[in-house]
Amino acid sequence: MSVSANDTTAKVSLRGFLAKYSVLIAFAAIVIFFSVASPTFLTPANLFNVLVNNVVMLAIVALGLTIVISSGGIDLSVGVSVDMASMIFVMLLAAGYSGIVGVAGGLGAALIVGILNAILITRLNISPFLATLGVLFIGQSTQQLATSGGQPIYLTSGYAADQFNAVARTALFGVPTPVIVLIVLVVAVHVLLHRSVFGRYVQAMGAQPGVAWYSGIRVPRELSTVHVLCALLAGVTGILLSATVKSYVPLSGNAFLLDAIGATFIGTTLSRERKPSVIGTLLGVLLLAIVKNGLLLVGWNFYWQQVGIGVLVFLVLAASFGLRRAAH
Amino acid sequence: MSASVLHSEVAVSDEKQAAAKSAGRRFGALVVRLGAIAAFAAIMAYFVVFAPGFTSTFNLINVVEQSAILGVLAYGMTSVIIGGGSDVTEGGIDLSIAANMGLCAAVYATLLSMGYGDFLSVLAAIAVGMAVGALNALAVVGLGILPLLATLAVLNVAAGMELTLTQNTVVGASSPLLGVLVSGSFLGISALAWALIVFSAIMIVVVHGTSFGLRLYSVGGHPESARAAGISVPFYVSFTYVLSGFCAAVASILTVSRLSASTPGSGELLLSVLAAALLGTVFSRRFVPTMGGTLLSVLFIGLLANGFQLLNVSSYWVNGVQGALILLVVAITSFARGSEGSR
Repeated sequence: MSVSANDTTAKVSLRGFLAKYSVLIAFAAIVIFFSVASPTFLTPANLFNVLVNNVVMLAIVALGLTIVISSGGIDLSVGVSVDMASMIFVMLLAAGYSGIVGVAGGLGAALIVGILNAILITRLNISPFLATLGVLFIGQSTQQLATSGGQPIYLTSGYAADQFNAVARTALFGVPTPVIVLIVLVVAVHVLLHRSVFGRYVQAMGAQPGVAWYSGIRVPRELSTVHVLCALLAGVTGILLSATVKSYVPLSGNAFLLDAIGATFIGTTLSRERKPSVIGTLLGVLLLAIVKNGLLLVGWNFYWQQVGIGVLVFLVLAASFGLRRAAH
Repeated sequence: MSASVLHSEVAVSDEKQAAAKSAGRRFGALVVRLGAIAAFAAIMAYFVVFAPGFTSTFNLINVVEQSAILGVLAYGMTSVIIGGGSDVTEGGIDLSIAANMGLCAAVYATLLSMGYGDFLSVLAAIAVGMAVGALNALAVVGLGILPLLATLAVLNVAAGMELTLTQNTVVGASSPLLGVLVSGSFLGISALAWALIVFSAIMIVVVHGTSFGLRLYSVGGHPESARAAGISVPFYVSFTYVLSGFCAAVASILTVSRLSASTPGSGELLLSVLAAALLGTVFSRRFVPTMGGTLLSVLFIGLLANGFQLLNVSSYWVNGVQGALILLVVAITSFARGSEGSR
């Protein structure tokens, strides 16, 4: 779909307006609906619960995917990065190491996944989809082999539990650490992607890979950074996840993959060129989290929630894509 | 792109000698393709020699049976990739296919357990599968939503509906048709194996032996040219999604027969289906998805799991080896394809 850049003659079309802001409109409508339907929805306690339990971890994974998708690629192995960070973090704590060592080890594990992806994509020239799919399979095997088939590791008491609490349960000025981590990462990724030279390179690679190459952008190097960053962000989620639930459950990271892809692409409907953005991604994550929470509060069971989320995402996408198509 | 770096290493011949270079590249591609197939052959040879009972007729038929479900699903995925183009983020993909199979299986088993006959239950399962496919088609073709996104939303709907229908439990099922599928055999080959053989034959003939299939490739390869040639692109793309839904329904009946029940968790098959459809490209001369290639990769994945089982290797290795093989094959392929390789 080609987009006319001629703004001077462009009339303010209602359809175009609706298409551009369909996600925001849907978001507002959903918030209003649940506020009316459930007395507990708009309470600070509930919104806080949504933020800490539903938003933070998904949002950090989605930030990583936003960078990768901006570069024109995809990372199907974010779940592996989440899991590997979680696994090494928990195993180190189980072995008696301190929280700092555990966090460093976990991030190191995610870093290895990212570097592996980067090598496969930039050195061996495998498409991001297939490279990360292969890494996903290998990561699943690795976890099964390391945990004799997927035995979870629980560390609910003792020294390790204290270390977990130090990561997940502390607060700064009344704001829980995970939320602070999220805020810092959102600002950092926003600046990186939308206000830095690196971000411009990434956007250029996503828009026109060939042109980016001929413009002298060192595509392999930038692309490697993109995939390493994505894996590291997923690793942060893995550490926060295990610290929150005080355990490592093998193969649990994959649950983030589809939601994070969905959130990122919902976010792309904000821009005319369908470019991913940090703000858009956050909006997508909030939309998914609020719908999940709201449906739970109005009494839908887990199974119907999934149908509800699917239908809702479908409708939002249909409105955005369909109206935009009609507007041109 | 990074491809160019590799490319310049591949094409060692003088740049002026374009003809020689392209011949050299063709030769290189041939060597690589044969190399990939030789790697498959080597693994198979290892199993033949070291895995007890690997080559017995019983075992081979067993592998074909086990591959039937994955195979039928992979055909659906392959048709969508052929018709939608193989671009990763914009091209054709059906993420909902495995969840759709789960939903169809739940519908089929539930109707059977409620006392409806085979005819009605099968019809309902196929109707549901094709309806989900039609929903994908509506979203992708009618509304212009990216296939990756549209089928992701539909995945959630289908998986959620399966859960609401079965309450996340196993729904047992038995019927005359299932009886035939489980224990029936013809010419010494079991019904499930026949299902894969017949389905494969139909798909290969339709996609590779008819003008319909040729038009399907043109739609996926270059939509503008296809349109200019008077081919209705929307029809062909829609068709692939509905076909994919149909494949999901057929696979659902096979899976219910294999397990004598509809069980939760069918969504886990998605990655294997994707792997099979994408791995299959290495068997084609131009590295495009083909039905024959998909069949070979499905059988290969089945034989791999089976050989490991016979060698008493932990099944935890299977995923990893499968992943490593995908990477190996695709790395070699993109190396051979040169600069047009990735993306």
